[in-house]
This record gives sequence, C-alpha cells and structure tokens, in this order.
Amino acid sequence: MPVAKIIIIGAGVMGQGLAEAVSSSGNEVILVDKTTKLAERGIKGIAESIDREIHKWGLTQSDKKALLARIFPSSDLSQAEDAETVIEAIPEDLQLKRSLFEKLDAICRPDAVLITNTGTLSISEIAAVTQRPGKIIGMHFLNPVTKIPVVEIVKGLKTDDETFQKAVEFAELLNKKWITVIEYPGYVTTRIIVPLLNEAMHVLMEGVATADHIDEAMKLGFGFNVGPLALADMMGLDVVMSWMENLLEELSEHKYNPCPLLRKLVRAGHLGVKTGKGFFEYDADGERISPKSTTE
Amino acid sequence: MKILVINCGSSSVKYQLIDTDNEIALAKGMVSRIGMSASVLTHKPHDRPEVKVSGEILDHIVAIEYVVSMLISENHGVIKDRSEIQAVGHRVVHGGEKFADSVLIDVELMRELRNLIELAPLHNPHNIRGINACQKTLPGIPQVAVFDTALHHSMPPYAYIYGIPYVLYKRYGIRRYGFHGMSHRYVSQQAAAMVGKPITELKMITCHLGNGASVTAFDGGVSVDTSMGFTPLEGLLMGTRSGDLDPAVILHVMAHEELSLHEANTLLNKHSGLAGISGVTSDVREIVEAANEGNSNAKLALETYCYRLKKYIGAYAAALGGLDVLVFTAGVGENSADVRRLTCEKLEFLGIALDETKNKETAGTETDISTSGSRVRVLVVPTNEELVIARDTQRIVEAQQP
Repeated sequence: MPVAKIIIIGAGVMGQGLAEAVSSSGNEVILVDKTTKLAERGIKGIAESIDREIHKWGLTQSDKKALLARIFPSSDLSQAEDAETVIEAIPEDLQLKRSLFEKLDAICRPDAVLITNTGTLSISEIAAVTQRPGKIIGMHFLNPVTKIPVVEIVKGLKTDDETFQKAVEFAELLNKKWITVIEYPGYVTTRIIVPLLNEAMHVLMEGVATADHIDEAMKLGFGFNVGPLALADMMGLDVVMSWMENLLEELSEHKYNPCPLLRKLVRAGHLGVKTGKGFFEYDADGERISPKSTTE
Repeated sequence: MKILVINCGSSSVKYQLIDTDNEIALAKGMVSRIGMSASVLTHKPHDRPEVKVSGEILDHIVAIEYVVSMLISENHGVIKDRSEIQAVGHRVVHGGEKFADSVLIDVELMRELRNLIELAPLHNPHNIRGINACQKTLPGIPQVAVFDTALHHSMPPYAYIYGIPYVLYKRYGIRRYGFHGMSHRYVSQQAAAMVGKPITELKMITCHLGNGASVTAFDGGVSVDTSMGFTPLEGLLMGTRSGDLDPAVILHVMAHEELSLHEANTLLNKHSGLAGISGVTSDVREIVEAANEGNSNAKLALETYCYRLKKYIGAYAAALGGLDVLVFTAGVGENSADVRRLTCEKLEFLGIALDETKNKETAGTETDISTSGSRVRVLVVPTNEELVIARDTQRIVEAQQP
C-alpha cells in the first residue's frame, strides 16, 4: 500500500462519498474503518455509487477502474501516521468523536490537519481532548458528497489560520464551494433546513395536505430540487431527529422540538430511504416506488 | 535544439525528444495507465529497440520524472543529462479566442489556461497537469504552449458564429474555434509538397480521423472552416463523442432522465459516438470487424460515421468552390481503407476517384490513393503533430532570446 497523504476514517455513507470525491480529484486515499470487512464494505458501497453514476452516463467503466484503484481499504488507524490530511466521518456522536481524536492526537504528525465532518457538534469540544486544538477544524459535507457542491468550513474557538487555509485548499481540491462558519450549534445548513423539514411534518400531521402535495408545492413554488419530506427521507429520519434534539439541547428553543410524527416514524423503524420506508416508500436501489405517501 | 514534446491525456503522457537541427525524434514513447495499477512506460530510442517498463506511476509528475530518467538512462537514454533538454513544447487543446499562435508559458498564461478549462473539459485539465509536472521536474527550462485552436483563427466570422443571440458571443466567447490545428497544418503542408504545387494555389480538405475527428477546409493554405466548434464535441461522429446533434435532443434527455449538467456532458463526450450507437466499442477496427460479423448496430455506427464525413466533404467543397486535394490522416484516416472507401463512394461527381488497390494497400504511409485520372488528388498523409510543436517551440524560444 502506498503512502497516501489523505486518510478518511469511517467507511459509512459520508466516508464513502468523501473517498470517492478525493479519488475523483486524482489523489489516493486510505479509507479506514474498525475492521477490514467494514472498510471493504465501504469500497463496495463506492463501487455501487459509481455504477449508478455510470447508469446515468455520468462516468465510464474506465473511470470506475481509475477511481477504485486510488482508494485503499484498511482497518489500521496507525496509517494516519504519515497523512497530511485526516478526515473523520464516523457516526455523529460526541463521545465517539472525542475518543477518536484522542487517538489521532497520539498518532498523527504534528503538522497534520485533522478534520471532523459534523453537522451540529462543537469543534471546540472535540478539539479539547487533543494537545493541538489549533489543528482541528470542522468541515460539514452534505450527502451525497460527490454531488453537493458546497461545504461548510467550521472554525472552532482555537482553530488556527493555517489550518483554516488548509481546509480551504482541501475544499478546492474536491471542487467544492465553501462558506466559513464560526462555531455555533447547527452552523448554517443544518440549522435552517431542520425547522423547515419539521414544519413540513407538522403540516402533514395536521392533515393540511398530503405528503406528495406538500413536496410538490415546495418544489414548484420555491424551486427546490427535492421536496422537504423526500429530503428528510434521504437524510434519514433518525439523523434528522438527532440533529433536532441536539439543537434543542444546545439552544433550548421550542422550534427545534421534533414533530411527534417524526418521533413516531423513527420509533417504528421507518427511517426513510435506507429502510425502504419513511414519508414515502423506496425499493432496494433507493428509488421511490410510487408517488403515494405512506402516511395518507 | 533538443525539445521535449509533451502531450498529456487523462491517464497518459505521450512524449518525443526532437532534435530540431535535423528534425529527428531521438526518442519517442508513452506512459499509459497513469494512476491505475500497473502503469506502463513504452520508450523507443531512434537507434535501439523499444523498451517497456511497468511500475506504479501515480500521477503526471511521476510520469514525467520517469520519462526524463529514461531519456538520460545509460542503456536506453539518448542524452547524457537533463540539462540537454533546452525547451519543452506542450500540446494544449483550447486556446480560446486569445491565442492565434503558440506562446511561452508563464504565470499569467497558466491563469488563462485554467480559465479555459470549461471550454475543453476533456483535455485542458490534463494539459495543465502536464505543464505543472514539467515545471517541477525540469525547473527553469522554457516551456511553450502550442494550441489546437490557433490554426483556425483565420476562419471568417460567418463560419465561426452560431445562430444564437450575438450577445452570448460577446459575453462568453461562444463561437466556433476548431481543433486539431497542428495536425491539419502539418498534413496540408505535406500534401502540397506531395502534389508539387504551392499551397497558396490549392483548395484542400483534410480529414483528421483519430479518437477525436475533424475536417478542415483550406483555401490557399488558410483554414476557412473546420468541423469542430466551441468544444471538440461538434462535427463528425467520433469514438465516444456525438458530434453534430439537434441541441433540443439534449434538453429533452436531460429533462426526461433528470440528468445533471455533468451527466449530460459525459453522456455526449464519453458514452456517445461509435460506442454509443454500436454498444460494442469506440474503436473503428473493432467496429469494422463486428460489422463484418453481422452486428447490425456496429454496421449502423460505421455507416453513420462515414456518411457524416461524406456530408462534410461535400459541404466544404461547396464552401471552397472547388476541390484539388483530399487528405486522410490520424489513426483511422491513415489505416482504415474501409472508412476511406465508404466515405469517397458517390463522390465521383466532385472529381474524386479512388484507386481501390492503392487504397487497400495503404496503411500509415504517405500515398496518393486516387486513380491517375482523378481530378482531385486523394492522399493518405501520416500526421506529425509533435514535429509541429517542436518547430513552434523552437521559434518561440529563440524569439525570446536577446
């Protein structure tokens, strides 16, 4: 295995998207997860994502070979030793992230930039467990990483300017537009989209309109590519709920109270596209089965 | 002057070290499969057998480093030290409206080139990568960019303007630019020498048929029209590119298949052409084989390819008001007798008469393949873009020296 300058930790959906985006930029990347099996499952996920893109004529078979040849699965965190850029994309859980950064602090070069990919958590709180809080920065990529052209670069209280500059370079390497966010719960994208999704759920729960009509109205009325309920399904209803609870806890504002319908669906295990059922129904490839909503 | 000529593709670097004093390529070669497992460097010194080395070549910088080490290596090298390389000439696909000639590369030019990426998404990024790689590997050595587009600056406005609001031309430079300039220029000059007439007296059509393909109409040695346009996508049907298309088609497909701009772009550039129609391959040799074996889609792809080319020849003969010389060049043009025959069929009224035997027997050599009675000389001329790049590079570098 060659020495890749970029390493991604966490081979879930976000890690896969990041690895594909790095590889698309022509760079090699190591994709690390707890076991080799999990890391390899991540590679398989990337291959499937590329296949979907080939099917839509966005990539070719030779692109696929080249993209996959630059991504190396691994279960060995010590691979981060020589990396210049480390991106963490493990589940959105403060304790998990803190313990990972504690380990990375012991492994990584002193000049390495350590990036946490989070949508709501405090960069400063994560950085506090390390001896190098200046080198820790947040980058909030949105799913699917290869398609969404914007990233929020989140400065913690102690993030130094050089680290910020390197995060900007990394964003530009991946061909993303970036915005700067000064650490505050929910940043920009999550904070604004979450109440909108929640309100759409309230409108549905209160019987004002069907799920389909709510989405149709918002798409056509405001030029959204995807309606709010379909968007929540894509994000994962459990994820949306955890963001809301996070914002509620941090900001203590009623508007972040998850809609009871959202709680009900999450409790029933209807988490959206990934479980085949949320506000709408989906087949194994994640395609909408019918425009009919499940809650009518 | 010893000049390293570089042509960078997405996963390949083609190179030649040319001594312009005697116009000999001291060595030529190619690095392929860059960034993939088992990259291959093929190197051929002019006076020794070819060598092949495989290894891991991750990017263009490593590739150029390999090339330079090969050029100075004890067993396979052709020079003693890298300092013998006096200049580097790069093929750059799109020079936009600004560059009517080759230019010396500096910081300002690199910025201009990056601005032009949108116009040639398949090529310019790789050309830039190659320039960056050479700046790292051969610091301080003058580098020159030679553009595919420069030749066609002589096109009259009525040939380059599109039938859309003129303000879009002023705002974004949307017009036809044309490509393959080095190849069309080289073969037109060779062809004039072959027929033994001054180029200024000839009406000529040159067909560059490679992976990309284009036709150029020369009036007295000056390009007056060419089939590629704003990008290398317009014109002939190509290996994986659609060529001419009703623009409404792509709007319709984008709407119905919910394609992004990127997906639509890749659809037209990489999934279309011979590969798209045949569903088999983008390679003309394989298309011809498949067609002969009865594959109807391959046959259709081949017919479409030649029919489109025939129409362009007819159109340009009309634009020129006559025709003296028709030239076939590049991979397909030099080697596919089938394509040449199918294209020239029914063009007897223009004065084109192909000598069947000569056509069949000609592959990759300068040959007149028309009958002795043919009013139009039909020539096969192997192209040599590298030599054009080396000559231009020398001219530009020498002009810089006090």
